[in-house]
Amino acid sequence: MKSLKHELESLRKILQRVYHEKEIVDVGDQWQSDVMRRIRNLGPVQSGPSFFMLFEQFVWRLTPATCLLIIVVATIFFNLDFTPEYDVFTSFINDTEEVSLAQIFGA
Amino acid sequence: MQNHLSRPSDAEIIRRIINGDVNSFEHLLKKYQDHVLRIVKKHIPYNEAEETTQDVFVRAYNALPGFKEEASFKRWLSAIAVRTCYDFWRKQYRSRELPMSDLSERHREWLDKTLSNQSDQSFHEKSQEKEARELLDWVLSKLSAKDRMVLELVYLEGLSGKEAAELLGLSVSNVKVRSFRSRKKLEKILTALISR
Repeated sequence: MKSLKHELESLRKILQRVYHEKEIVDVGDQWQSDVMRRIRNLGPVQSGPSFFMLFEQFVWRLTPATCLLIIVVATIFFNLDFTPEYDVFTSFINDTEEVSLAQIFGA
Repeated sequence: MQNHLSRPSDAEIIRRIINGDVNSFEHLLKKYQDHVLRIVKKHIPYNEAEETTQDVFVRAYNALPGFKEEASFKRWLSAIAVRTCYDFWRKQYRSRELPMSDLSERHREWLDKTLSNQSDQSFHEKSQEKEARELLDWVLSKLSAKDRMVLELVYLEGLSGKEAAELLGLSVSNVKVRSFRSRKKLEKILTALISR
């Protein structure tokens, strides 16, 4: 009785061999003509990289700087005590509203 | 010497193509078609390999302006071929166009016979049988597209993590993690297959 490990190793070897034996090459002239037809249909290749390629490269180059900026801005906001300023702003708005309404209704 | 002078280099051919000479692409096609087909046929089912190889050359043609002359064209083309195969599997897995049927009794019989007779001659004969190819396809179909490609390149083809990472456009650490994980998964699948 062969061990499971031994059988596993045998099966692995066979599958590796199968994988390597897949690489038998045979294509005809027709295949070549088909590829060239597709290439000719595409027309001359663009001499410079396309806008999207440049944009993609640009975006990826800026990614680390953008991440850093987000972290810095987030840290600043967390360290800033902006709640009192918000309260002052709200009370100011409320006061203004009350005053203006009072003026309108003549109270 | 005469022959060397009359045959333009890859860089020269690429320059011509970029300058509008589309027909010069045929030189590259003839020179590298066997190489690309060898790569594609290892990763893709036989009936899809020729069309996928065409796609590789079309993608390479469109990407030629981005090719850096100091790099090796063969390596660059190999990376396009591997990534095209990866895209093929991603599409297939998404649409499930290829039937992923379970193993039949025929495959189990083949497996039992193969494991009971393990001489070198038997190994060679067994690996050429249709059942062997179908079993390999079945096992690989159990993995995700990315794990499948990593496993094929590292485990079956014997490339280093760095080489596989370059071909697939992934980081070396990503390839190493995927390679380890997919290898464990493969062993689990094979163990379950043998134990049945």
